[in-house]
Amino acid sequence: MPDELKVVGHSVPRVDGPAKVTGRAPYALDLTVPGMVHGIAVRSERAHARIVSIDVEAAEAAPEVLAVVTAASVAPLDVRFGHVARDHPALACDRVMYHGEPVALVVARTPRAAARAARLVRVHYDELDAVIDAETALQDDAPLLHPDRVAPLGDAGLDAGAADLTGNLCAESTVGWGDVDTAMAAADLVVEGEYRYPMLYGYAMEPYNAIASFEEGTLVVHSTAQHPYMVREDLARMFGLPLARVRVVVPYVGGGYGTKSYTKVEPLAALGAWVTGHPVRVALSVEEAMLTTRSDGAHIRARSGFAADGTLLAREFDVVMDSGAYTDNSPVVCAKLANRCFGPYRVPAVRVRVRSVFTNTVPASSLRGFGAPQGALAGELQMDEAAQRLSIDPVDLRLRNVVAPGEEILPRKRGIDADLAEDLRMLTGSLGWGGPSAPGTGIGFGLTASDAGAHPTSVAMVRLHADGSASAAVGATELGQGSRTVLSQIVAECLGLPFDRVAILAADTGATPYERTTGASRTTTLVGRSLQAACADVRRRVREVAAEVAGVDASAVVDLPAGVSVGGERWDYAEVLSRWFGAGGELVGVGEVRRAGEFQAMPPFWEVGASGVVVDVDAETGVVSVLQLTTVGDVGIAINPVLVHGQDLGAATMGLGAALSEALVYDGEALANPNVVDYRVPRSSDVPDRLELLLVERRDGIGPFGAKGSGEGALNPIGSAVAAAVGRAIGVFPHELPLTPERVWRLAQERVGDVRT
Amino acid sequence: MLILSDFRLHRPASLADALLLRAELGDEGAVYAGGTELLLALKMGVLEYEHLIDIKRCPELRGVQQVDGTVRIGAATTHRDLETSPLLARLLPALAELERHVANIRVRAAGTIGGNLAFAEPHADPPAMLTALDARVELAGPAGVRELPVEDFVLGAYETALGDDELVTAVVVPVPPAGVRATYRKLATLERPTVGVAVMGEVAGDTFATAPAVVVGAVDERPLRVDATPLAGASVRDRDALEAVVEAARDLVDPVDDLSGSADYKRHLTGVVTRRALEHIVDPGSPS
Repeated sequence: MPDELKVVGHSVPRVDGPAKVTGRAPYALDLTVPGMVHGIAVRSERAHARIVSIDVEAAEAAPEVLAVVTAASVAPLDVRFGHVARDHPALACDRVMYHGEPVALVVARTPRAAARAARLVRVHYDELDAVIDAETALQDDAPLLHPDRVAPLGDAGLDAGAADLTGNLCAESTVGWGDVDTAMAAADLVVEGEYRYPMLYGYAMEPYNAIASFEEGTLVVHSTAQHPYMVREDLARMFGLPLARVRVVVPYVGGGYGTKSYTKVEPLAALGAWVTGHPVRVALSVEEAMLTTRSDGAHIRARSGFAADGTLLAREFDVVMDSGAYTDNSPVVCAKLANRCFGPYRVPAVRVRVRSVFTNTVPASSLRGFGAPQGALAGELQMDEAAQRLSIDPVDLRLRNVVAPGEEILPRKRGIDADLAEDLRMLTGSLGWGGPSAPGTGIGFGLTASDAGAHPTSVAMVRLHADGSASAAVGATELGQGSRTVLSQIVAECLGLPFDRVAILAADTGATPYERTTGASRTTTLVGRSLQAACADVRRRVREVAAEVAGVDASAVVDLPAGVSVGGERWDYAEVLSRWFGAGGELVGVGEVRRAGEFQAMPPFWEVGASGVVVDVDAETGVVSVLQLTTVGDVGIAINPVLVHGQDLGAATMGLGAALSEALVYDGEALANPNVVDYRVPRSSDVPDRLELLLVERRDGIGPFGAKGSGEGALNPIGSAVAAAVGRAIGVFPHELPLTPERVWRLAQERVGDVRT
Repeated sequence: MLILSDFRLHRPASLADALLLRAELGDEGAVYAGGTELLLALKMGVLEYEHLIDIKRCPELRGVQQVDGTVRIGAATTHRDLETSPLLARLLPALAELERHVANIRVRAAGTIGGNLAFAEPHADPPAMLTALDARVELAGPAGVRELPVEDFVLGAYETALGDDELVTAVVVPVPPAGVRATYRKLATLERPTVGVAVMGEVAGDTFATAPAVVVGAVDERPLRVDATPLAGASVRDRDALEAVVEAARDLVDPVDDLSGSADYKRHLTGVVTRRALEHIVDPGSPS
């Protein structure tokens, strides 16, 4: 570590650590608002049906019940939300679109009274044909789920794909260049296959919850939202309020992973408050959260053409995503999957089509990785299959094709800000690739690069107080990733202050400046940069006022750690403020990042994924044990190495869930496993014994001190890596996740071909 | 939202009081010990009761004692108590080992052995082992105390021989004679066991002294005893005899397709786990 850095680059303890481990840190679920009452949703028991009537009299007459809210009861209020297309009603209007959809909200003085009354609400349905499977939904005779399409909102910061959509298409994205057909025809080897990535529930310890109230004409919401400013826009549209009159506050959040991106239960709480005049809490159970959002499952048809020496000649992907009942964020996932599926390779000809399809299932939206894990399952496995068939080492095959630092992956996009070849060598070295391997074991690894950061709008504010300490206000949410710690480190470093002289106020749209999202692994990079700018701004103010007080030219004032030199005399910040204000006061600096200048090129940065595993397969039972996990955290600089390790291990472990055990399963029109007993997420005992969490610090990122984002990359190649490792152990490459014991056992039975281990 | 409906909670301080409540409330009252199955079923609305009889405060129902060649386990003894009981570790090490791997620590800390048997969830670990060990269930009711072999107590999925006015008071497990070994092997693809096989038998030198007890749990609605006579007097190296028992286990079960696997797969697993359990009896160092 270069010694000019005092705070950045060190694993300082988390600022929220003591409060969290002692149970004192406030989460939305810990808050109470005076007069607060409780809302519980009545949920659809049909996958697709017209609502004939809703009998609410018995529920409304039940003890302690204040109101039963339905879409009809709040008309003409338009209860739909959605940041891409406003098609998702908070309460089903004339139709239910999936099993588990909220139909009514019972508001009562206690959660028990609301739950009891909810059982008294009778919904009369006129059943409609449902379509659960995405391929079926694409057929001409499939029931049309959105006959009256809602025009997209046209947010310029969202890559939402094609416009003129028909049938059950929720979105469509295409990417391409070169002459794929000619290149495939000329190829010495064409690897072709179909791959399936499961639909997932991104389990977080804290389920969705929100408290809403109307206070002096302002809608105030405390919630678990990852993107409070996006939720604010949805609520402003729904209630016809200016942005200034919607305040969304997000305390600590018990896990986000993208599942808390965008609007979830906030409209339900707000509608309850709007009807009853009371603050209303809506707090979901895990089981209800599983009926709220999931990730897009993907069926991928892929072809890759290679020359005999392993050079990639062409790649073609045709992907169908199962996106569920409403648009939500699937169009953006669709666009990202299209950008990410062919990998960080130099490919002369590419043809990608990704179709996101409406079905009568739980609506899909963001989840960690965001299309990359789905695409990599096919893209990376085909690299392994090609290597095997061409008798080329799969590391060499990748090295032959991987982009060099600075080279474009996508035409006219930012060149890659990483040395992927070196990352791959580190990864495979750690895994013992090329060395001896025990029978029944296999090594698998993968390489991905994601266009990360999303639309780079970030505004930050730094306040320098009379005692020389500083607080920063940012819109980023603390989801457990440690953003408040990392941002504190950046402010401390920039102002030359000790870490404990800095505080962060975050994620209150009524008080903190705008942050577009806390997603796409962006906070360290983009909020870090806007904070750096704010620190520079406040330092400029310090020099300015010091010069004026001293009666010298501004050029005679020079920055020092935690102060300035005025004509050779050291004044610390407190002294500057004291001389300027006489008593009290503060200096304020603001900073911003916008899509201009060095942030004009998209993406703001590339997030690298380089992960691998060593597995042991019990071929007789099909049980896969992960013996070793290696991640390469190519983060430019680790502002806090321990937190980067946490992100990489967490992301990779989440990837192991999808690789080995997680999948939402529909049995007819309802989920067969809508609980975390039957839907198995990894536990601490599933974390492999051998962990190699490597860090690479080349200072090649656009973020503060050369940083770039982390938090998703380590997950992205895990599914393909586990599949490849299992494939090498049993002799046939799996194409479908999760690799449940039965699936592996069946593959081992039908072993074909011969795979080198 | 999963919220319990209203019920009245009774907390008798003695077995006698608990039995009076049982007699009085009949099928309107559920016996509540660990609640690991019952409370979930109540929250989901699968079961509804107006009364719960909490038996955790009855001292007669707790504890592990050695009584005349048996181990008597109070019905309200938790899995955690069993996994940490020095007496159980010494006298019934295979049962102690099984208890260490029941579900997860939260379930083990609350769930009880009596509750496990009385709820009769098919995907459970102890019933197969207790069957193999020839354990008996002690039941108390207005007419006094009776004992039933575990395999006669568990009748099917969520179905037992327990009367509405009775309580499970203890599980009585004979201590196997010296030289007799027991083991339990299982495979769980989800939270609960997919297949569990318990074996108790005596290996003298390199032969099975008699046919071992082999019981398959978690596959069918109740534990099933496998005919292991091919192994009676057989050498431990007699693969044909061993495979005949494995085959018998596979043929015996009647699995269904569910989230934990297809019927085919579970039948196959039954064979694998049976083979591994038998190998473990022969060689306790063999891999699980």
